[in-house]
Amino acid sequence: MRRPSAVVVATGVLFAAPLAALVVRAFADVWRAPALLPQRWGGRGFEAAFAGDDAIPALVASLGTGAATTTLALVIAWPAARVLGERRLHHPAPVFMLLAMPLLVPPYAVGLGLTEWFLRLGVTGTAAGLVLAHLAVVLPYTVLLLLSGFGPEIRGLEEMGRAAGLSGAERLRWVTVPALRPTLATAALVSFLVSWSQYGTSLAVAPEQPTLPVVLLPFVGADPQAAATLSLLFLAPAVLALLAAVRAMKAPA
Amino acid sequence: MAPGAAPVLRGVDLDVAAGRRAVLVGPSGAGKTTLLRAVAGLEEVREGMVELGGRRLDRGVPSHRRRVSVVFQEPRLLPHARIDDNVALPLRAAGVGRRERRARAGELLEEVGLAGMAARAVRGLSGGEQQRVALARALCGEPELLLLDEPLTAVDPNRRESLRRLIVRVQHDRRLTTLVITHDRAEAAELAETLALMLEGRIVQQAEPRELFERPASAAVARFFGTGATLRGTVTAGLLALDDATAIPVSGPDGPATWVIRPEAISLDDGAPLRAEVVEATYAGTHVRLVLRRGELRLVMHVAPGTRVGIGSEVGVCLPADRLWRIPGEDAQVSARS
Repeated sequence: MRRPSAVVVATGVLFAAPLAALVVRAFADVWRAPALLPQRWGGRGFEAAFAGDDAIPALVASLGTGAATTTLALVIAWPAARVLGERRLHHPAPVFMLLAMPLLVPPYAVGLGLTEWFLRLGVTGTAAGLVLAHLAVVLPYTVLLLLSGFGPEIRGLEEMGRAAGLSGAERLRWVTVPALRPTLATAALVSFLVSWSQYGTSLAVAPEQPTLPVVLLPFVGADPQAAATLSLLFLAPAVLALLAAVRAMKAPA
Repeated sequence: MAPGAAPVLRGVDLDVAAGRRAVLVGPSGAGKTTLLRAVAGLEEVREGMVELGGRRLDRGVPSHRRRVSVVFQEPRLLPHARIDDNVALPLRAAGVGRRERRARAGELLEEVGLAGMAARAVRGLSGGEQQRVALARALCGEPELLLLDEPLTAVDPNRRESLRRLIVRVQHDRRLTTLVITHDRAEAAELAETLALMLEGRIVQQAEPRELFERPASAAVARFFGTGATLRGTVTAGLLALDDATAIPVSGPDGPATWVIRPEAISLDDGAPLRAEVVEATYAGTHVRLVLRRGELRLVMHVAPGTRVGIGSEVGVCLPADRLWRIPGEDAQVSARS
C-alpha cells in the first residue's frame, strides 16, 4: 500500500469535516457553542425526526422515484446520446442549448410550469407525475454524461460484433452495454442523485407525495438535531450509490 | 453504397478462388474498404452481387449470418473481457458453453503464438498481440471467407513481418479463402497469391503479384507500383528514338507504343549512349533512389546504397531491352495523340 499523499489527506479532511459535524449534531441532545463536543449525547433527534408519519414514506418515495427516474432517463437518453455522441447532427449547437435549458432554469420554476400541465393531464400529485417532473430535470444530465461514451470506438466494436455473428440483442448485451459500463455507471449515479436531491420540483408537482428533501427542510432551523438525523438518512443512499458507481467504474470484469 | 459516406464502386469484378489468398491493393479512397464492407454485409449493396461459394449474400443475408470473418485495421477487442472470451465471441453467439468456448479459444491462441495468455486482460497487450487476438477471434467463427482490412497498418513496423508470416501460415494450413486489403505495395506483393489493383473504384488488373509489378496492364498500374520510366514513342526498325540524338533497342513490332521499366531494372553505365542529369539522390537505407532527367524524360532508379553521385552531374544509363515492358493496348492511345 502506498501512503496517501498530503493532497489526498487534505481533501479527505475537507470533505469529512462537515459530515463529521453532522454525525455529532445528530446525536447531540445538548450542544452549546463554543464547546467542541456536545454536553449530552442522545437519540432525541431520531425520535423527533420520526415522530411524524412522514419520514419513512418520504424515504420510500425518494428511493422509488429516484430508481424509476434513473431507469427511464437511461432508456430515453440512450438514443439521443448515441446521435449526439457519434456526431451525426450537422448542427448540434441548438440541441445542446435545449439540453442545457433545464439546468439554467430554476427547478422550482420548471416544477410550477409542469404543474399546470400535470393538472390538465391528471397526473399532478401522483407518483407518475413526480417521476415525470424529475425526468425533466434529470434527462439533460443523463444525456450529457451518456453521450461521452458513444463514438467511433463503440461503433467499431458493434461492427466487429456484427461480423463475429452476433445478433442485435447479443451485440447490445455482450458488446455495447459492457463496453459502456463506466459511462453508464456515472450517468446512472448522477441521474439518481439529481432526482434524490430534488426539492423545488417535487414540492411544486406533488406536495401530497413528500420526498425526503421536502420532509427534511422544515426541520432545518426549527430542530437542528432532527434535521441532522434526517440529513444522515438523506446522505446514506448517495454514499452507497457513489461507492457502487466507483466499483462499477473500476471493475475489470 | 451509402450516399456521401463511402466511395462508389463501379464495375468491380473481383474473384477470390476457394482456398486462395487474394490481396486487393490500391491508394486510399479507391474503394477497397467499401468493397470489403459490402462483402461482410456492413455496407449496403445497391447494385451488383456478392456471392460466396455460389450462394448470394447481398440479398437477405444479414452480416451476422454470413460465414465471413473480418479482421479490421484496429483490433477492436472488448476491453472488459478476458483474452480468451474475446477470441470465443463468435462461439458465444453460436450458443457454445463457456468451458468449451474457453478450451477452443486456448487452442486458437496457441496457434497465433499467444499460448498461456488466455485469462489475461486485453489491456497491456501490444498492438501486434492485439491483432493476433483479433485474428484468433476471426478464425474462431470458422468462416468460409476471411477478410483482413489493412491488418498490419496499426502494428509496429518491426512486428509486421512476423504477423504477416502468421497470416500466411494460418491461411495456408487451413486452405482458408482469404481477401486482404492494403495500400502498401510491398506488403501486397508479399501477402498475395493473387493480387488485384483497384483504382478509382475499378479493378484494373488482377494477376500474380509479379505480373502487376513487371507486366502492368496500363500506365496507371505501372505508376501505382512505382515505375522507373515511362517511354512513349514510335519504333522504327526495332529502335525507339528518345530524341534526335539517341535511340534504344526495344522488342516488338514497329509503330507507336508505350514502355515502362522497374526502377530496380535501370542501371548506371558510364559507357551507355543514353545520358541523363541527376536531379535528386535520396539515401533510403537499403538503396539510393536517383531521379534523373533528360529533356522531357524522367527516370527513377534504385542503386546500391554505397553509390555517390553529384546532383547536376551527367551519368550514363542502361535500360535493358529485356526489362522494358511494352504496355498492351496503349499503342492506339499513343498514335491517337501523335
